[in-house]
Amino acid sequence: MSAFLAYWLLQLQWVFFAYFIVISVAYLALHFISVTTTIRYMRDNRAPYLPRILPAYQPPISILIPAFNEEQSIVSTIHSVLRLDYPEFEIVVVNDGSNDETVARVIAAFAMVEFPEAYRQRLPTEPIRAIYASPRFPRLRMVDKDNGGKSDALNAGINCIRYPLFCAIDADCILNPGSLARVVRPFLDDSTTVASGGVVRVLNGCTVKNGFLEKVELPRRMLPLFQSVEYLRAFLFGRMGWSPMNALLVISGAFGVFYKEHVVAVGGYRTDTVGEDMDLVVRLHRRLRRSKRPYRITFVPDPICWTEVPTDVKSLMSQRIRWQRGLAESLVPNVRMMFSRRAGLIGFLALPFMIVFELLGPLVEVTGYVAMVTLWLLHLIPLQSFLVFLFLSIGMGILLSMNAIFLERLSFQMYPRVGQQLILFGAAVIENFGYRQMTTLFRLVGLIKWLFSGKARSDWGRIVRDGSWQRSAPDDADEPPATGIREAIDPTATGAHAARVEAAK
Amino acid sequence: MDFISGAAPVVVFAFFAGVAICALTLLMLLATIVMRMIALRTERIDAHAEALWKPILMAPGTAAVTGLPALHRRDVRGFIEAWNEAHEPLQGATTDRLAQIADKVGLQQQLCRFLDTHRFHHRVIAVMALGHLKSDESFKRVLPLLDDKSPIMSLCAARALLQIDPQSGVPKLIPLIVDRPYWSQGVVASILEETGAFAVGKRLTAATLHATSDVAPRMIRFLAGVDPKAAAPIIREALRSSLDTRIITTCLQAITDPTDLVYVRPLLTHSLWFVRMQAAATLGNLGVPGDETLLVGLLSDQQWWVRYRAAQALLKLSFITTEDARRIQQAQTDSYARDIIDHVLAEQTIEVAA
Repeated sequence: MSAFLAYWLLQLQWVFFAYFIVISVAYLALHFISVTTTIRYMRDNRAPYLPRILPAYQPPISILIPAFNEEQSIVSTIHSVLRLDYPEFEIVVVNDGSNDETVARVIAAFAMVEFPEAYRQRLPTEPIRAIYASPRFPRLRMVDKDNGGKSDALNAGINCIRYPLFCAIDADCILNPGSLARVVRPFLDDSTTVASGGVVRVLNGCTVKNGFLEKVELPRRMLPLFQSVEYLRAFLFGRMGWSPMNALLVISGAFGVFYKEHVVAVGGYRTDTVGEDMDLVVRLHRRLRRSKRPYRITFVPDPICWTEVPTDVKSLMSQRIRWQRGLAESLVPNVRMMFSRRAGLIGFLALPFMIVFELLGPLVEVTGYVAMVTLWLLHLIPLQSFLVFLFLSIGMGILLSMNAIFLERLSFQMYPRVGQQLILFGAAVIENFGYRQMTTLFRLVGLIKWLFSGKARSDWGRIVRDGSWQRSAPDDADEPPATGIREAIDPTATGAHAARVEAAK
Repeated sequence: MDFISGAAPVVVFAFFAGVAICALTLLMLLATIVMRMIALRTERIDAHAEALWKPILMAPGTAAVTGLPALHRRDVRGFIEAWNEAHEPLQGATTDRLAQIADKVGLQQQLCRFLDTHRFHHRVIAVMALGHLKSDESFKRVLPLLDDKSPIMSLCAARALLQIDPQSGVPKLIPLIVDRPYWSQGVVASILEETGAFAVGKRLTAATLHATSDVAPRMIRFLAGVDPKAAAPIIREALRSSLDTRIITTCLQAITDPTDLVYVRPLLTHSLWFVRMQAAATLGNLGVPGDETLLVGLLSDQQWWVRYRAAQALLKLSFITTEDARRIQQAQTDSYARDIIDHVLAEQTIEVAA
């Protein structure tokens, strides 16, 4: 029996080796594409070369902030959104049946009053309790509804919004004043754009004042620092690499802009998944590919949104399990797109890549580690081979992280000091000795949970928040300008876009 | 090397692959740090140039410029950036004074040198500066850049050409506006408005009249922005005869003459909801007594947006008061119509309070 096992474990070595080579080549290719795309993007956006776009040509946007028990951060987030440098936008906060003081705090902070909204239910949701508007901040409204999960809250928000484009953001995110203008740019440059996302960065360690990022620093604790490197990897070449091929499968739920009518056409956010953001993007691709309509789902390398990452292992585990389940729930129902001619690069590259390397990756990696250790313990491979393969695997991990740091340098240099870059490099090295293996294990647990439990419900994925960035510079709440909605506003907004959608049909 | 001597070939290969990967990693780290150091040096030089030249460039007044410092080669880029920035509308410097400074430091020669480099940033800021400089001989230098494959460069060249010589630039530019949907419409509109109706109006009108239905909506929008008077007859004709809904909705947004409402009213019963919606909104802007009856009919439309815009339009009419709106509401048998009036009245109250 042991001879049989040993034989198969030895054969598996070759499978792992081949897998390792293929994944390394794939990541290096993505890195190459990201570098060329980023260089071109930075070249064109290094300075404001062109005259300012006339406000009439910037599409108005609805900003959706779904919230569940966000009494700590919701007021600060709304203040930060109210100060965005963008000509025309409205904010719709959706309270998903919070059982804390979320609603009361928003009502008090923004002097909100109940509003007799002629609510129209295009997407089914849990019942709406009330809708509020603010006479002091006419851009702001709040939908109070029964609890139904994040997707349900987003769908209720979509039912309420006025504008053709909407931007969904997490209630605990911090934005830059120019975030919206940057992420909307693809819609202005290419009229076939249906969704766009940008880079989400780690907020831990930074300083926030009046709802805006004042000072960018690296996290001081190891766990968030490792995640800073991970975020750079995931966004700067994970996503930038797929965008030029129009094969981007994820736009972060923390900050993404979508064309409302396309989202409604695919039925809005799915409420029976924990990965509603990725699921939506995959379904958009599927529908638009099927209709043979030209479209673009795009990604900008601008750091537009900052979010706090888990600082304790328990929260990190729950987050990664949730992400892996979300990944499985988004990919598996669309597996028929794989190798379908109609699906183009999505079917031939993006989906197989995501399934083989991202979804099944943890299984292969953990099996690989276990097999190597077992073979070494059984003296079936020499220590030398074991160490060489470990060296190769860790070396590749460090190289990929270094690629991401290099891309950060090429793009927006949010960590400009040489010291910061050395710290990032140090983290890129150290994370390979324990942290990566730990997160791989969490992802494997997520995969197993997805396999053996039923469908999940879109939830809120709570993590324990450190919040030190808020303490370090308390929000002294200078009031944002109470700019009125000109919406009544601008009837052109909806008409032109509706005409465009209709024309495309 | 002893460590891998006698190992299987695959292990030897893996070992050397690992070594190569480590070397590549260190090389990238080195490249990252060196690039940062170069960037720091460049930033220092630019900051020095800016600190030296910005106060001179931004200084108010029209007196003759005397006692300028020498423009060192390494400061040229910083100078051009500051010089371009000084031309932005709110910076307050007079262009005559800036032109004098440019002349004294020999900017034209420096810009020609920058245009000949392969560095994108240098070439673009040179094109921008040539536009501000308005020197006739620059026209020929900038003209080929209209065909640059970068939309940033070609749009900057278009703007510069119109700044240098609008009469010669407009005939070159208008056909490109028609042919290049990938040029940002907001930027094109901004450039056209900056140039003004006097220089652009005639050619733009002619191009709009000959535009295909694909291009016509954006051309009408550009023309309406630059020269509403020239756009009016085209809008009228399009509303009278066009069947293309994109053209119709664009015209409905651009219409300014109440006498054209005669073409708008029939569109309130159009089969497509967004045309009805847009027609209602237009009626709200320009409507006359009697139009309220037409809008009331739309309060019960099947489409939420039509009801919403009709209610807004109703309240926008100067001769309809809040009390009139309440009376209209009470007369409605359809609950959707009553609700939408409540909604819009509440919105109006909030706007007034704001």
